[in-house]
Amino acid sequence: MLTADFPWLTTSILFPIAASLLIPFLPDKDGKTVRWYALVIGLIDFAILVYAFYTGYDTSNPNLQLVESYNWIPQLDLKWSVGTDGLSMPLILLTGFITTLAILAAWPVTLKPRLFYFLMLAMYGGQIAVFAVQDMLLFFLVWELELIPVYLLLAIWGGKKRMYAATKFILYTAGSSLFILVAGLAMAFYGDTVSFDMQTLALKDYTINFQLWMYAAFLVAYAVKLPIIPLHTWLPDAHGEATAPVHMLLAGILLKMGGYALVRMNAGMLPDAHAIFAPALVILGIVNIIYAALTSFAQRNLKRKIAYSSISHMGFVTIGIASFTDLGLSGALLQMVSHGLIGASLFFLVGATYDRTHTLMLDEMGGVGQKMKKIFAMWTACSLASLALPGMSGFVAELMVFVGFAQSDAYNPTFKVIVILLAAVGVILTPIYLLSNLREIFYGPENKELTSHEVLVDAEPREIFIIGSLLIPIIGIGLYPKILTQIYDAKSVELTERLRESLPAVSQQAASQSVAFGAFNGELLKAPAIE
Amino acid sequence: MEAIYEYAWLIPVLPLAGAMILGLGLISFGKATSQLRSPSSIFIVSLCGAAMVLSFALFWSQYQGHEPYTRMVEWASAGDFHLSMGYTIDHLTALMLVIVTTVAFLVMIYTDGYMAHDPGYVRFYAYLSLFSSSMLGLVVSPNLVQVYIFWELVGMCSYLLIGFWYDRKAAADACQKAFVTNRVGDFGLLLGMLGLYWATRSFEFDVIGDRLQQLIESGALSGAMAALFAVLVFLGPVAKSAQVPLHVWLPDAMEGPTPISALIHAATMVAAGVFLIARMFPVFEDIPTAMSIIAWTGTVTAFIGATIAITQNDIKKGLAYSTMSQLGYMVMGMGVGGYTAGMFHLMTHAYFKAMLFLCSGSVIHGMEGVVGHDPAYAQDMRMMGGLRKFMPITAITFLIGTLAISGIPPFAGFWSKDEIIGLVYEANPMMWLVAWITAGITAFYMFRMYFSTFEGRFRGADTSVRNQIKLEQLQEMGLSMGPGAMNPHELTMEAESDHAKGDHNTHGHHYSTSPHESPISMTLPLILLAVPSILVGLVGTPFANYFEAFIHPPGEVFDMTEAAAHFDLSEFLLMAGSSVGISLIGITLAVMMYLRKTIDPAAIAARIPALYQLSKNKWYFDDIYYNVFVLGSRRLARQVLEVDYKVVDGVVNLAGLVTLLTGEVLKYFENGRAQFYALIVFAAVLGLVIFSGIT
Repeated sequence: MLTADFPWLTTSILFPIAASLLIPFLPDKDGKTVRWYALVIGLIDFAILVYAFYTGYDTSNPNLQLVESYNWIPQLDLKWSVGTDGLSMPLILLTGFITTLAILAAWPVTLKPRLFYFLMLAMYGGQIAVFAVQDMLLFFLVWELELIPVYLLLAIWGGKKRMYAATKFILYTAGSSLFILVAGLAMAFYGDTVSFDMQTLALKDYTINFQLWMYAAFLVAYAVKLPIIPLHTWLPDAHGEATAPVHMLLAGILLKMGGYALVRMNAGMLPDAHAIFAPALVILGIVNIIYAALTSFAQRNLKRKIAYSSISHMGFVTIGIASFTDLGLSGALLQMVSHGLIGASLFFLVGATYDRTHTLMLDEMGGVGQKMKKIFAMWTACSLASLALPGMSGFVAELMVFVGFAQSDAYNPTFKVIVILLAAVGVILTPIYLLSNLREIFYGPENKELTSHEVLVDAEPREIFIIGSLLIPIIGIGLYPKILTQIYDAKSVELTERLRESLPAVSQQAASQSVAFGAFNGELLKAPAIE
Repeated sequence: MEAIYEYAWLIPVLPLAGAMILGLGLISFGKATSQLRSPSSIFIVSLCGAAMVLSFALFWSQYQGHEPYTRMVEWASAGDFHLSMGYTIDHLTALMLVIVTTVAFLVMIYTDGYMAHDPGYVRFYAYLSLFSSSMLGLVVSPNLVQVYIFWELVGMCSYLLIGFWYDRKAAADACQKAFVTNRVGDFGLLLGMLGLYWATRSFEFDVIGDRLQQLIESGALSGAMAALFAVLVFLGPVAKSAQVPLHVWLPDAMEGPTPISALIHAATMVAAGVFLIARMFPVFEDIPTAMSIIAWTGTVTAFIGATIAITQNDIKKGLAYSTMSQLGYMVMGMGVGGYTAGMFHLMTHAYFKAMLFLCSGSVIHGMEGVVGHDPAYAQDMRMMGGLRKFMPITAITFLIGTLAISGIPPFAGFWSKDEIIGLVYEANPMMWLVAWITAGITAFYMFRMYFSTFEGRFRGADTSVRNQIKLEQLQEMGLSMGPGAMNPHELTMEAESDHAKGDHNTHGHHYSTSPHESPISMTLPLILLAVPSILVGLVGTPFANYFEAFIHPPGEVFDMTEAAAHFDLSEFLLMAGSSVGISLIGITLAVMMYLRKTIDPAAIAARIPALYQLSKNKWYFDDIYYNVFVLGSRRLARQVLEVDYKVVDGVVNLAGLVTLLTGEVLKYFENGRAQFYALIVFAAVLGLVIFSGIT
């Protein structure tokens, strides 16, 4: 009945958006119909995605699949063109999964439920669109569009400083995304043909100087989103004020857009510039890992602590992208999915804890473990996942980045040693802040002060279900990473090959121009060859 | 016979399944599951028993000369990189499987008695089973990555179990300390692993060894680099096996329930470091620098551990330092090339130290009936004394363990320790001297422990001792809170009344005046462990070394009859005589000081206050680490956060044109008509797009 030609991706994008438009007409007195409606829509859309993945997606094919292209506004050369490949498929599935769970996580929302679920469903479609669209102009549009629901979700349902946080969020992200527009336009008009199609853009032959400019512009835009220090300061504010479901989307999906675009555009379209910028990416990644781990350790506000931990984990993504190895890139992609799951679960737990303690300050918590045993157990499991415990997805991702970078032949040994050493310092710092956090919330004698005015009920089945659903893929990937990596392996191998092709060419140029990044010495270290 | 190898994966998987079933039960039907006490424990114990039976079958088959067996599954791949996981069964693995499963099995039986009144009984079994699974996974690992995986997992189980009584502040601190300290070691292990991979492109133990050797010979890799990698890998064992300077977590880990102190922090997990050195032996043995660093680390650890153990009053802490010291012996043995000797001591130590810990648990269990559930009283040897009359089985087994660890023939510890000391003598006389003196100290502190616990007069009802302990505790707290924090007397009163109230509320029964022997579920494992503690050493006597015939470095051939022919009785008598001699001196001192009381230990302590304080304060490691690392990292983190708030946020806010507007825009936005303005932003963006699209 349903053929492979059916526009699966378009449907998955438009279906939740269309469904959201019906929300105002739903008969709903107590706000309970609307959430069931949203949940069912979310589940259906997730089912559509999974079905499309099983029927229309071939894991061995590195090219775009499930492609659809329609002329939209021919005068502007704007096409509705969507498709997916190894880079985006896992993230699209992740989006469907996390957003559906976020809708379930939003169960207790009582303030303006119609508007809330309307925005959630709009986000659903918008987020998938960001990963699926294959037209530069359209990409910019959906990138901007998806900011609006986030902005409103922050501004209406946030904490005390929500207006400040929401405004900062929109200014940072919208402001920086102008760079996408500028760079996108410049690339589209470069050369003889004008095209916004990403495939075409990737194949154009740009001069190195042009590439460098474009790369820098994209980098600013995506560094804000990922985020890369020092463009991260919107994130603790936004995360510090968001409610749990919004949090899950922010950490689970929105941050991944930065990483995704970095691979798709910076690395995929501008490989020569990538070869020059790569050492800088590595250094920024290191800074992310260590700096954010330290700030997270010092933070006394639970939400902000976990927010900084997200920043720290994203450092591995940039290092992996800049490693010029299959393994490193694969690790970076895995880290995005893994952090999407782990970050969402941690932020959900932060919300669940806040619902009970009504405080986010660690100094006022402590000793609540006896009253909230199940929440304690889930917190422990998710914290362990976040500190990259083997058997969980975060470990595999970090290990792949480490091994990938160690076997990379694009850097000289000294640089590699320093980078690995510093990145490994993160391995020590992460448990320090995560376990301190656990200790300060749950361990210790019963907190009389808190229990005197708050009723600390243990987790309800809905909460256990959400965390359970998140832990299953976390542990599944941790036990057998191939279930995820095989989805994108073909693509990451192809992309790495392309990136490596541009290595020697650039390194000669780099040597003559004596580019500022001393670490990239161009001469390829040949690993000891042993038969 | 082949079939048991095909199903060998069940050994770690069975306990894992048990842990998962209990865990799921606890999280979904918490109340109901925690009431299913005996079904849960019987279930877990029988799974462990099944794993034990399989392990014995594999051991037997290996002993009969079956070829090593390896089975791999591709686990991760990217491009041309492939990483496989699986299991390998060889002599070393078979031995470790037997050690781990037997100790785990007995500890699980013991747990039933020890944790009988604990509300977390079922959870404890789930953790125990999870730990057994991870530990068994570790010993069957065929490559370095898999070792690393299970290495971390046993660390996690240790974290969960140390923090088992999470309402105790000390436990909360201890579990975090254990995990973080171990992560420091893992940091080294990870780096070393990556370095070795970079150089040899392999994670397989023997492949790394061979290729590294070739690389050094061909000059492609400098010897210093190879040594660096080896030492980095060795950092893993340093942390896990509580070697100086990363030993600080082990004594604190005694905050966990005693069964896990026996299983994890004495018999199995802490010995994993020694196991890893054995696995990495093909790599280490060709790098003399690394070997001597390993040997000296072990020597220093053995000595420091023993010197601290002398002054400990907490029975478990004393045993913990003794474990640290004994692990030092094993590492020392490995470092001087004594692969067999190190593993032999690992085996004998696993049995007698597990037994000693279980005995201490039995003592604590008995003491709790008299002094209440306060570890400060129940574990303090000054409150004990004369327990032999009340708990004879515990006393006899503890004495057997004490004789074994002191190296008195024919008990197990004598043969293994003597083998190490003999090897050390051949390698380095200085090292031998330290090891030899340490043997004397060991005998002294172990008998001090035995006499103060089981002999003399029972002091449990003595209020003056109780007050003394209380005072010390308060002083310690006062110190950590800084001067002038609180009036100690005030605290005493408060704590005392709190204590009484707490006891009343939680237990609500009156304490008896004398301790009682533990139930059969606790004494039976003690008796069963006493058997190997006495006899297991006989498999590795220098004149008929069955142990070495089974466990010897890979690539070496060992012929038992030939070795026995080389056996020199007079040399053996000299070496053995000297170590037994110093042990006897230690025992005699202990008899005079703690049994006959002809020498007053307090007077000696007063004579050498500096040394006494050094030992009492654990060589000041904890204080130094606290001030340098804990406070240092906190300060650094706070400063970075300040910078983040004040500098980075500020600069970035100011930097762009966009953010220049922030102040103005914010005012508008805070009027509350946010949606409207958002639409304006959107419209502007859209306009810009259309505009740019047209031009």
